[in-house]
Amino acid sequence: MDFITENLLTILVLLPVFGALALLGHQMFWKQEAQLKWVTLLFTIVNFLISLFLLADKGAASASGFFFEKNIPWIKAINTNYHVGVDGLSLWLVILTTFIMPIAVISTWHAVEKRATAFYIFLLLLESAMIGVFVSLDLLVFYLFFEASLIPMFFLIGIWGGENRIYAAVKFFIFTALGSLLMLAAIISLYYLHAEATGVGTFDFVTLLNTLKLGNLVFSTTAGALLFFAFALAFSIKVPLFPFHTWLPDAHTEAPTAGSVILAAVLLKMGTYGIMRFCFTLFPDQSREFAPLFIILAIIGIIYGALVAMVQPDVKRLVAYSSVAHMGFVILGMFSFTEWGMQGAVYQMLNHGVSTGALFLLVGFIYERRHTRQISDFGGLANVMPIYATIFVITAMSSVGLPFLNGFVGEFLIMLGMWKSTVLSTVSTNWNYVATMLAGTGVIFAAVYLLWMIQRVFFGKVTNDKNRSLKDLSYREIGLIAPLVFLMVFMGVYPRPFLDATEKAVVEIQKRVMHRAGGEVVKTEEEH
Amino acid sequence: MILFAELVNPNVNISSIAPELMVAIAGIAAMVYDSFFPNQRRVTGVISLMGLAFSAILLGMMWTDGHHASAFNGMIAHDNLRMAFSFVFLFVTAMTILISTVWVDNENVPVGEYHSLLMFATFGMMLMASGNDLVVLFLGLETLSIATYVMAGFRKSDLKSNESAMKYFILGSFASAFLLYGMALIYGATGSTNITEIAAKVADPNFPALLLIGAATLIIGFGFKVATVPFHIWTPDVYEGAPSPVTGFMAAGPKAAAFASFIRVFVLGFPLIAGVQASGYLHETWITVLSIMAILSMTVGNVAAIMQNNIKRMLAYSSIAHAGYALVGFLGAGAASNPVERDAAIASVAFYMLTYAITNLGAFAIITLLGQKNDRRTEFDDYNGIGFKSPMLSFTLSLFMLSLLGIPLTAGFMGKVLVFRPALEAQNALLTVVVVAAVINTAISAYYYLRLVVVMFFKERTTQWLEPKMPVGLAAALLIAVIGVFYFGIFSDSVIEKFSRSTRTVGAVQK
Repeated sequence: MDFITENLLTILVLLPVFGALALLGHQMFWKQEAQLKWVTLLFTIVNFLISLFLLADKGAASASGFFFEKNIPWIKAINTNYHVGVDGLSLWLVILTTFIMPIAVISTWHAVEKRATAFYIFLLLLESAMIGVFVSLDLLVFYLFFEASLIPMFFLIGIWGGENRIYAAVKFFIFTALGSLLMLAAIISLYYLHAEATGVGTFDFVTLLNTLKLGNLVFSTTAGALLFFAFALAFSIKVPLFPFHTWLPDAHTEAPTAGSVILAAVLLKMGTYGIMRFCFTLFPDQSREFAPLFIILAIIGIIYGALVAMVQPDVKRLVAYSSVAHMGFVILGMFSFTEWGMQGAVYQMLNHGVSTGALFLLVGFIYERRHTRQISDFGGLANVMPIYATIFVITAMSSVGLPFLNGFVGEFLIMLGMWKSTVLSTVSTNWNYVATMLAGTGVIFAAVYLLWMIQRVFFGKVTNDKNRSLKDLSYREIGLIAPLVFLMVFMGVYPRPFLDATEKAVVEIQKRVMHRAGGEVVKTEEEH
Repeated sequence: MILFAELVNPNVNISSIAPELMVAIAGIAAMVYDSFFPNQRRVTGVISLMGLAFSAILLGMMWTDGHHASAFNGMIAHDNLRMAFSFVFLFVTAMTILISTVWVDNENVPVGEYHSLLMFATFGMMLMASGNDLVVLFLGLETLSIATYVMAGFRKSDLKSNESAMKYFILGSFASAFLLYGMALIYGATGSTNITEIAAKVADPNFPALLLIGAATLIIGFGFKVATVPFHIWTPDVYEGAPSPVTGFMAAGPKAAAFASFIRVFVLGFPLIAGVQASGYLHETWITVLSIMAILSMTVGNVAAIMQNNIKRMLAYSSIAHAGYALVGFLGAGAASNPVERDAAIASVAFYMLTYAITNLGAFAIITLLGQKNDRRTEFDDYNGIGFKSPMLSFTLSLFMLSLLGIPLTAGFMGKVLVFRPALEAQNALLTVVVVAAVINTAISAYYYLRLVVVMFFKERTTQWLEPKMPVGLAAALLIAVIGVFYFGIFSDSVIEKFSRSTRTVGAVQK
């Protein structure tokens, strides 16, 4: 037991890799594919259970505020260490990852027939890379996992995707790779700036942060802006923030269901997580300075995503564009630099993972039955598949932000935070109100496009004869979606445990961003 | 009086070139053996491999004992530049011999000659790294070049192979002439062919203009040999036409050797000497010129590679781009502010060439195997949908592509990080631009490296596919390459440390 808690994060990262090796060995020696999904499922569930230790007994945080820290030298020549740890910000994201994986595996139970070994190997490798992203505290190691997560996803889309999969896979790869490579250049530059300031170069996030906090390393205006944008661009592409979002609809539409679920639930969160973890803390001044830009792009994303979603004929593409809008909300909340807004953003990351993940699953269910996702092919499904329709409506409502479901809490906090925010006061007073109201229209639009889609797909008479004989959800499918629906309700009614866990880390980041170098605190919220 | 003493007691120190001699002896042994017992393909290969192994041991001993003496009146250097690069050459040649087993088995070519030519080429490459005198560098270069001209045309009955050899020979000689002319001009300007002495004299040359023109023609000569834009035109044709194992060798070995000489002449021979204007002018000029060449090489190489339909041509353009990436580290070495940083940068270029060699040779091993007799299957279409028909080969080839692209956990990534590092360290605006160009180019290159992966895995095969039988030697080479890609990607620590450990400069060795 001690071994597990001491090396918890390393186990979480490596267990899926061992799972992948086990599958490979299995394939080489037994050449049977039937048991593969069971083996994969076993590994992902065990990983999920192990990740629950993160909640159980944290012990004391280290001086840097991280739990379960591990710091082992990796390449001494360039002073890079295998440094991992979690705090409130990454904690839930790690659990979200391990939680969504078994669901993704079960969702492929009958869907993936061809080349199943490779499919499950890539899924497991992807899990490993995603967890690695959320726990690494060394910039080079972070980059490594960030980039490594691309490869399995590239294969998942490219081999098991839809018609246009090759285009989507390559676009996905090149977009993300370009952003992250610029981040690599920035990471290496940070190493030298640190070396110049203190005599020792480092990739270690905690060390860098301390040097910055102590004021021993101060960026020049240009250097600071360039570095900030190199990081922010990499993450903005991943989020994706308007106008870097074009890869997302393609990737989502073409990816197999499991891929879409993981992409929406976890991969996009790497972007928002990265901005919060690295951009805000390493470049607080630049973050404040350029916040208006990000807020404007976020609002454009919210409204644009919603408008484009409205006219999509394909359900999956509609959900994909709704992701653009939702992630816009997350960015908006983060850049409000208020505790409410940022807490709401972190909460909304989890919400989006749960609701949009569920939406993609639901779309997958119907696609497996009908092999089409065009809205016009459906109509009146509620008569044939009542359970499916009910669950779909609940999920859509959670995505819209109906009170007592999870989406409401996040969006409400974000808008509250934006309303109180002073970030835009540099541009003009009262713009925070305008921004909030514009974002609010996004919520209305979301209701419009989702409800309209639901009306066309589920209600009215059955127009297409092929739909009359559709079977309602099987027990496997209900079992798959039930935990997600439970979470939607639970997180909507009782958000406290989640918000409490993230509070300390978020407040820390918020304080950091609002401190000027001299120690003067910038006023962040208007007096109540 | 001193001159007389040198005449009667020439400073010959055989032990200082023992690794080179070992390789040459093995080459001669292979040749002699082949003339008495022709067609014993395995024996000459084993002789060559043993020669390489012994040479590596000798090199390792020189590396660890650290003692060094002036040899051949300062014509032979003993520093980390030589050690690290020589190690790369030995590795490249050993891998090439292993890869060639398939080719040698399938085609009726005189293998003994091939092995001895490879060894002589290696001898030339090692001289190019160890020579501390323009004359020795040129000697090494010619030994290498003549051997490779022959190897490029080794498939006598194949028109493309002949074309390749002819082009390489004519353009190569042309470049050698430039190089030689540059050397003559440098001699005229400084009065010496010894690089240490040249470095001392740059500050106060006899004819500053000659020095600049000499440096310019040297850049043309070396630029041709490392295949950088605008001196790259020969590369795609030669790489496409030469037999695949030879192409792999040319992309990895001679390129690295040319880099070794190039670095020695420019970084160590034309340094920036504080407060002296002449040296500053020369230094600034070559840094600027090479920066432009680096950006052009990366951009032209990558963009042209996208448009290729033949895998060997694609890898030829990719090798042009990789020469550009290596130049980034080279520039970092040139702009370094102190000898420690400079040696670290040189080590990073050597490490980069090692990672490139291991990845590229691995890729060529598979291309050789799949290409079969006369390299018939080298178009992208020939690789359609083989991903799940030959999963091991396809995943291995994908791994090499990802390493060439520079994905983390592979050797290519560590190589890139290490060469970008010194360039950023120099805190020079121009070099920062070069690094940004390199980064953007890496993203561009994703397109064509992934294309091979896409073709193999994402497309369906419409025609029949027979997986070729894999010879043991090639399997060994592949295994080494795969292990190497991961080892240098994950545990690169020890190698980097070794490459930059003997941090003596040439200046300290001689005189």
